Amino acid sequence: MRRSRSGGLVGRGSHLVVAWLVTIAFVFPIYVALSSAFKSQEQILENPLSLPAPFTLTNVITALQRPDQLVQTGLLNSIVVTSLTVGLLIPLASALSLYISERRPRIQAILLAVFAFGLMAPPQVVLQPIVGLLHTIGLANTYPGLILSNIGGGYMSFAVFVYVGFLRTIPKETIEAARVDGASDLRIWWTIVLPLVRPATATVAIFLGLWVWNDFLNPLFILGPLQGQTITTGIYVSLGTYSTDYGQLFGIMFLAAIVPLVGYLVSQREFIHGLMSGASK
Amino acid sequence: MADRLTLTRRSPAVAPFARRSVGLALRARRPLGLAPLAWTAMALYAAFLIYPIVQGLFNSFTNASPLALSSAFVGLDNYVDLFTDRRLLSSLGFTLLVTVFVTVAANAIGLALALLLNRSTTNYRVMKTLIFIPQVLSGVIVAFIWRSILTQNGLLNSVLQNLGLIDAPVSWIGTPGLAALAVCVVVSWVTIAFATVVYTASLQSVPAELYEAARMDGAGVWSRFRNVTLPMIAPGTTISVVLCLITTFKLYDVIAVLTGGGPAESTKSTAFYLITVAFTDNRFGYGSAIAMLLLVLTAAAAFGLTALLRRREVNL
Repeated sequence: MRRSRSGGLVGRGSHLVVAWLVTIAFVFPIYVALSSAFKSQEQILENPLSLPAPFTLTNVITALQRPDQLVQTGLLNSIVVTSLTVGLLIPLASALSLYISERRPRIQAILLAVFAFGLMAPPQVVLQPIVGLLHTIGLANTYPGLILSNIGGGYMSFAVFVYVGFLRTIPKETIEAARVDGASDLRIWWTIVLPLVRPATATVAIFLGLWVWNDFLNPLFILGPLQGQTITTGIYVSLGTYSTDYGQLFGIMFLAAIVPLVGYLVSQREFIHGLMSGASK
Repeated sequence: MADRLTLTRRSPAVAPFARRSVGLALRARRPLGLAPLAWTAMALYAAFLIYPIVQGLFNSFTNASPLALSSAFVGLDNYVDLFTDRRLLSSLGFTLLVTVFVTVAANAIGLALALLLNRSTTNYRVMKTLIFIPQVLSGVIVAFIWRSILTQNGLLNSVLQNLGLIDAPVSWIGTPGLAALAVCVVVSWVTIAFATVVYTASLQSVPAELYEAARMDGAGVWSRFRNVTLPMIAPGTTISVVLCLITTFKLYDVIAVLTGGGPAESTKSTAFYLITVAFTDNRFGYGSAIAMLLLVLTAAAAFGLTALLRRREVNL
C-alpha cells in the first residue's frame, strides 16, 4: 500500500496486531453464537467463551428433526419469497429505470423524487394500509400478497436508484446505435441494456436478496401467524417457545444464518463494489 | 436543432444524444415496447407505497378501527391527541436518543476502523470481510445473540463477576436506562459494520498523490487527516450518516427481540409504538396520525441532513 503509511517492519507488525485485536473484539459476539451452536446447553452456560469441545452436532440435528419442520419450511418459504421478489423486481425495475432515464430532465427529477420516498419511508408507516389493501383484493395472509408488497415497496426505490445511477454512466450512443439498426425498445432493453447494467443487477440482487431474506416486519404482519413462516419470523416464534434452551436456539440460528453468510462470502467482491458505487455517487 | 425536433420516431438516429435542452426530441422517441413493464412497475409502486401513504393520511382524520363497521371523520382530533400522549412523547425521546447515539458512534468508530484497516494485504482483507458480518445477519439473530450475552446469567455478567468488577449479576436488559443503552450498543454494532465498509471504500478512492503532496508540504498526521482525508471522503460520510439515520428510524426487529420495548416501555421507539397502536390496540385512525408524524420526521431529518452534508462536502 502507501509507502507513506507503512513505516518500518516493527511498525507494520504492531499495526497488524492491533488491527487483529480490534477486529476480533468486534466480531466476538459472532464467535460466541457460532461456537454455542456446537456446544451442549451446560457448556454454553458454564463456559461461554470456550471453543466447542467436545464438539456436538446435537443442536443442529435437533433443529432439523423438529416435528413442526420449522427450519425446513422456513428456509423453503424464505427461498420462494426472496427469489420471486428479486426475480420479478430486476426486470421491472431495470425496465422502469431505462424508461425514466429516457424522460425529459424535469419529469425524471419528479419521478426520482417520488421514488426517493420509498427509500426513506419507514415500512411501519405504510404497513397497516397495505394489510388493508391486501384484504380488499383477497390476498391477505398470502405469499403472493407478501411478494407483491415487497416488489411495490421501498425495495423498488432502491433498485430504481441503483439502475438509474448506473444508466447515467452508459453512453447514450450505445443505445442510439441499436435504434438506428431498427431494434425495438424491448429488444434494446433485453439484448443491450441488461447486459451492460449487469454490475447494477448484481448490486440489486445481492442487497435486495439479503434484505428480503432478513426482513421481519412484512412477513410477520402480512403473512400472519397462521400462514407458516419465513426463516426469520420462524426464529422469532421459536424464541418465544424455547426461550431458555440456548443450544436449540443457536442450532436453529446457525441453520438460518448460514445461507446469507455463505452468499455474502461468495459474492463479497460484488457486495463491497455495490456499496462502493453507492458511496461514491 | 430545429429540424431535428421535427423528426418522428422513424428516424430516431438523428435525435441528438441529447443534452437537457432537447426535451421534444426525447418525447418523440418514447420507447413504446418498454412501457408495459415500466407502467406495471409504477402501478405496483403506486399501489404499495403511494396509496398506503395517501390512505394513511386520510385515515388520520378519522377514528377508523377494524372493530367498528364504519368510521367517522374526526378532524384534527388524532393530531391533537399526539401532543398529550405520554407514551408517544417518550417514544420520540427514545428514538432521538438511539438515532443520535447510533449515528455518532457508527460513523466515528466506523471511520476509525476503516482507517485502521485501510491496507490491501490478505490479512486486512480478511478483517474487512469479518467486520461486515453483523450487517449480513438478520436483526432477529443479532438481537438474540446479544440477548444471550446480556441476559442475567449471560456472558457479560459472568465475565464481569469473574473479574471481580461486579458482585451480583446486572440486569442489563431488565433495567430501563441500561436497556436503552443496550439497544443503542446493539444497533451501533450493526451500523458500525456498514459504516466501516462505506468508509473503507471512500478511503480507497483518495489518490495517494494527495497524501504525498501534503507530506511534501510538511503536513502532519492530523493535518493530513483534516485537510486531505475528511474532505475526500465527504460523499461517503453523507451516505453513511443518512443511512444510519434512516436505519434507526425504521428499527423494529432488534427491539422486538432484545427488549420487546420494555422494561416499562423504556425502549419503545416511535416506529415500534406505531405498530402497537395499529396492530395491538387496533386504533387505525390514531395510528395513522402517528405514521404521518413519523413520515414527516424521517423526511425532514433525511432531507435536511442530506442538504446539510452536501453543503459541507463543498465547503470542506
